[in-house]
Amino acid sequence: MRKILAITAKEIYTVFRDRNLILLMFATPLVLSTIIGLAFGGIGDSDVPDFAAIPVAVVNHDEGVDLQETVNLQGQFANLDALPFNLQDIGLPSELSGVGPNPLLQSGSELNFGDILAGILLSQPITGTATLGGAEIDVAQFECTLLGPPQEEGAASFAAEGSLDDLLDATAVQDAEQARAAVQSGEFAAAVIIPPGFSRRMIPQFAFDEGGRLYTQPADETGSVEVYANNGRPISSRILHSVVAGVINQFERVNVALSATLETSVNTLVDSLAVGDIDLSAVNLPATAAALQGLDATTLEPLGCLIAPGANNVTVAQQPLDALQEAPQFARIIVPIGAAQAVFFALFTGVFGMNSIYEERKYWTLQRLIVSPTPRSYLLAGKLVGNLAVVFLQILILQAALTLIASAVLGAPTFIWGTDIAALLAVTVALALCVSGLGVFVVGLAKTPEQVQLFGPMINISLAVLGGAFGFALPEQAARFSLIYWGVDAYVDLSLSQPDVSLNILVLFCQGLALFLLGTWLFKRRIDL
Amino acid sequence: MKTMVEARNLRKSYKRADGSTIEAVKGVDLDIHQGEIFSLLGPNGAGKTTTISMISGLVAPTEGDATIGGHSITKQPMAAKRLMGFVPQEIALYPELSARQNLAFFGRMYGLGGKKLSRRVDELIEFVDLADRQNDRIDTFSGGMKRRVNLAAGLLNSPPLIYMDEPTVGIDPQSRRRILDTVKLLRDEQDMTVLYTTHLMEEAQELSDRVGIMDHGEIIAMGTQAELTQQVGEEDRLEITTGAQNVGEALTERMQQDIAGLTRVLYNPPEPIGENSGESTPARLTVFAKRGRTALPQIIQTLDAAGIDIQSVEVREPDLEAVFLALTGRALRD
Ligand SMILES: Nc1ncnc2c1ncn2[C@@H]1O[C@H](COP(=O)(O)OP(=O)(O)O)[C@@H](O)[C@H]1O
Ligand SMILES: [Mg+2]
Repeated sequence: MRKILAITAKEIYTVFRDRNLILLMFATPLVLSTIIGLAFGGIGDSDVPDFAAIPVAVVNHDEGVDLQETVNLQGQFANLDALPFNLQDIGLPSELSGVGPNPLLQSGSELNFGDILAGILLSQPITGTATLGGAEIDVAQFECTLLGPPQEEGAASFAAEGSLDDLLDATAVQDAEQARAAVQSGEFAAAVIIPPGFSRRMIPQFAFDEGGRLYTQPADETGSVEVYANNGRPISSRILHSVVAGVINQFERVNVALSATLETSVNTLVDSLAVGDIDLSAVNLPATAAALQGLDATTLEPLGCLIAPGANNVTVAQQPLDALQEAPQFARIIVPIGAAQAVFFALFTGVFGMNSIYEERKYWTLQRLIVSPTPRSYLLAGKLVGNLAVVFLQILILQAALTLIASAVLGAPTFIWGTDIAALLAVTVALALCVSGLGVFVVGLAKTPEQVQLFGPMINISLAVLGGAFGFALPEQAARFSLIYWGVDAYVDLSLSQPDVSLNILVLFCQGLALFLLGTWLFKRRIDL
Repeated sequence: MKTMVEARNLRKSYKRADGSTIEAVKGVDLDIHQGEIFSLLGPNGAGKTTTISMISGLVAPTEGDATIGGHSITKQPMAAKRLMGFVPQEIALYPELSARQNLAFFGRMYGLGGKKLSRRVDELIEFVDLADRQNDRIDTFSGGMKRRVNLAAGLLNSPPLIYMDEPTVGIDPQSRRRILDTVKLLRDEQDMTVLYTTHLMEEAQELSDRVGIMDHGEIIAMGTQAELTQQVGEEDRLEITTGAQNVGEALTERMQQDIAGLTRVLYNPPEPIGENSGESTPARLTVFAKRGRTALPQIIQTLDAAGIDIQSVEVREPDLEAVFLALTGRALRD
C-alpha cells in the first residue's frame, strides 16, 4: 500500500514539476476560456440571451376537464355497488346507482390547467372560472394559502422584481409544428407546448376500492408539457424549464390537496352513512349538494397559488431565477466554456499520462521498478491511481483558477460553480474517473505509443465536438455520447443552483467505471504488468 | 564456495514484428560465486542484457530457470529480488526529479521508509560523491554524474548481489575510472557479488575474477582469465594499423605461407565511426604468431613490398580479445 502511494505521489509530483506540461494542462485551457468568455460575454446576444426577454412561443392544446366528471361519484365509480349500504335502503332513487349525470354538481364546472399555464407564461390575467354547483366561483378570488399571507415582504418584492413579464417575451402560437419551426429558425429561444388532454392527465382519478372506500389513482405522468428549446440557447431553455416545472409543481400540489380532502371527506361521509349516524332519508339532496360545494371550494383553494400576483412561479422557479438574474454575464458564460475546456484538456492528461508508461519503459525506470521486490499489480495500481489523481487535480485546479479569473474580470470575488460543494466534488470525481478511464482504455487498446499519439487526440477532439466544447452545439441526442456533455451539463446545472445532477453523476460514474475496468484489463496485458 | 546465482538452460526468444522469432539467448548456464566479480563479455547484441533481464525477474525465460541465493526467480521472485541490486544499461532515473528524490523514490520501492531511508540515501550520495548536487534535477547532470546516481540506485537495499549492465557506456575516461574503482570497492570492502557486463575487453580484464564470453546468445567460453587465455595457446598477437590501401586475401594468405610461425592473419578494413561523423576506424591487420617479435621484421617487409603503409605496430600477449578472436574470428568491437 505504501508502495502504491509512493508511485501515485511520484506521478503527481513529476507532472507538477514539468513546466511544459503545466502550460498545456492549465495555462492553455484558462487562456482559451477567458478569451472566449470575454468575446461572448461582451456581445451578449444569441448564445447568451439577455434575461430581460426570452422569446418564447406558447402553444396550448389543452381542452380542460369538466370538474363535474371528476367529482362525480356515481358516474365514475364502477365499484359503487360495493358500498357498505344499499342506496335504495337509504332512500336514494335507484337511477342514481347506475350511470348518468350526478345532480350534485352541475355540468360546466370546468378546470383548464393548460389555460392557467399559458396565462402565466403570457402574463395574462387568468380568466378561467370553475363553476361549482351552479354558483360561479372565480378562481382568481382564491388566496394562496400555501404561500402564506401575500403581504409578506418576500412575496411582495418578488412580485415587483421577478415577474415573468420581465423575464419572458411570450407569444401565443396556434400550431405546435409551426412553433417548433420558429424555434429552429431562431425566432424563439424555446416553445412551451401544452398537449391535448393535459388537464385530464393532471387531475387525479378517483375510484372506490373493493371495500367501498374512496382512493386516488396515481396521476398519469406521460404527455406532460414539452419545452422545445433551441440548442444554441441552453441557458434560456433552462430558465424556461424551471418556470414550467415550477408551475406544474403547483398543479400537482393542488391535486394532492384535492384528493386528500376528497378522500377524507367522502370516506367520513360514507362511514357515517354506514353506521347510520346520518339518516340520508332525512337529508334533502340540495343541502348535501351545498355541503359538497363548500367542500370543493376549500379544496380548490390551492389553485390560488397559481395566480396570486407575482407568485406565478413559486418554489422551484423562484430561487434559480433570482440567482440567474444576479449572475453577471461573464460568470454565466465562463462556466460552460471553462468546464468544457477543462474536461477537454484533462482528456489529454488522461491519455498521455497513461502513455508515459512507454516512456518509463524506454528509459528503464519501469524496469527498475519491476526488478525491485514490488508486485507488478502494485505498479499498475500506482500508475492508475496516479493518473486518476492528476486528472482530478487538474479539473479542480482549473475550476479554482476559472473562479479567480471570473472574480478578476468582474472585479469582485465570485464563486461561479453554485453553492452545492458536495455535488460539485461528486461530479468532478465521476468526471475524473471517466476521463482517466478513457485514457487507460485508449492506451490499453492501442498497439503502440505512436498509435496512442494518433488516436488519442482524435478521440478527444471528437468528444469535444460532440460535447460542444468548441462553441457550437450538436443535437442533444448526439451530445449525449460525449462525457464532456454530461460533465458540462452538470456544472451548468450546479452553477444555476439546480442541484439535481444525479443522472449526470450516474452516467459519468458508470461510464468511467466501465472504461476503467476494461481499460485496466487491456492495459495490463499490453504493458505486461 | 557458495553459489549466489545459478542459471540453467536459460532461453529467450522474441517474436519479431514480421512474425519470425529471434533467439536472443540460447541455453545459458551460469554459476556466479559469492564475493566474486563475474563479467559477461560480448559484443552488442550478444544477449548480455537479455540474460541479466531473465535472472533479475524482468523478463520471463522462454525456458530454464535461475536461483538467486537459493530462491527461484520465476517461482519466488520477491525473495530473490530482495537479494539483488540492479544497475541497468540505461540511465533509469526520472530526469525531472533530483538525485535525492530519485533515490528516495526507488528506496521506497525496496520497502525503506522514514529515517532509515533518508540515512541510506545520505550514505549513497556520499558514496558516489554527489552531496553538493543532490538536490539538483537529474537532467542537469553530466553523463558521468548520471551514471553514478544510476549505480547508487542499485545499491539502495544494500544487496549482497548486484547486476551491472554496461555501467560505463557513454562517459568520459575519468568517470569510467571512478566507476571501475567503485565496483572493485564493492567486492573488496562490502563482500558483494557482482555480475558485470561489458563489451570492452579492458574492463573485463581489469575487474573480473571470472569471465563468460558471450556471442550470438551463447556463452562460448567461461573461466578465470588465465584459463581462458590458455585456450588460445601461447600465441602472441600483432596489431598492425595500416593505411587506406586494401589488404587483399591473396596477401594475407601469402603472409601465412611465407612467414614462419604465423598461424592466422585477419584483416579488418576501415569502418565509419558513428552515423555520419566522416571519421572511420583505421584499417587493422591482426596477426597471430608463435613468436611475434621474431616474425615482425619479415611481416613489415612483406607489407612494404605490397605497397601497404604501416602506421603502428603493437605486439600483445595473449588476452581476452585474443580469445574472442580465436573463438569467433571477429574482433570484439565489430
Ligand atoms: N524485446 C526484444 N524484442 C525483440 N528482440 C530483442 C528484444 N530484446 C533484445 N532483442 C534482441 O536480442 C538480441 C540480444 O540483445 P541484448 O540482450 O540486448 O544484447 P546485448 O545486451 O548483449 O547487447 C539482439 O539481437 C536484440 O535485437
Ligand atoms: Mg545490452
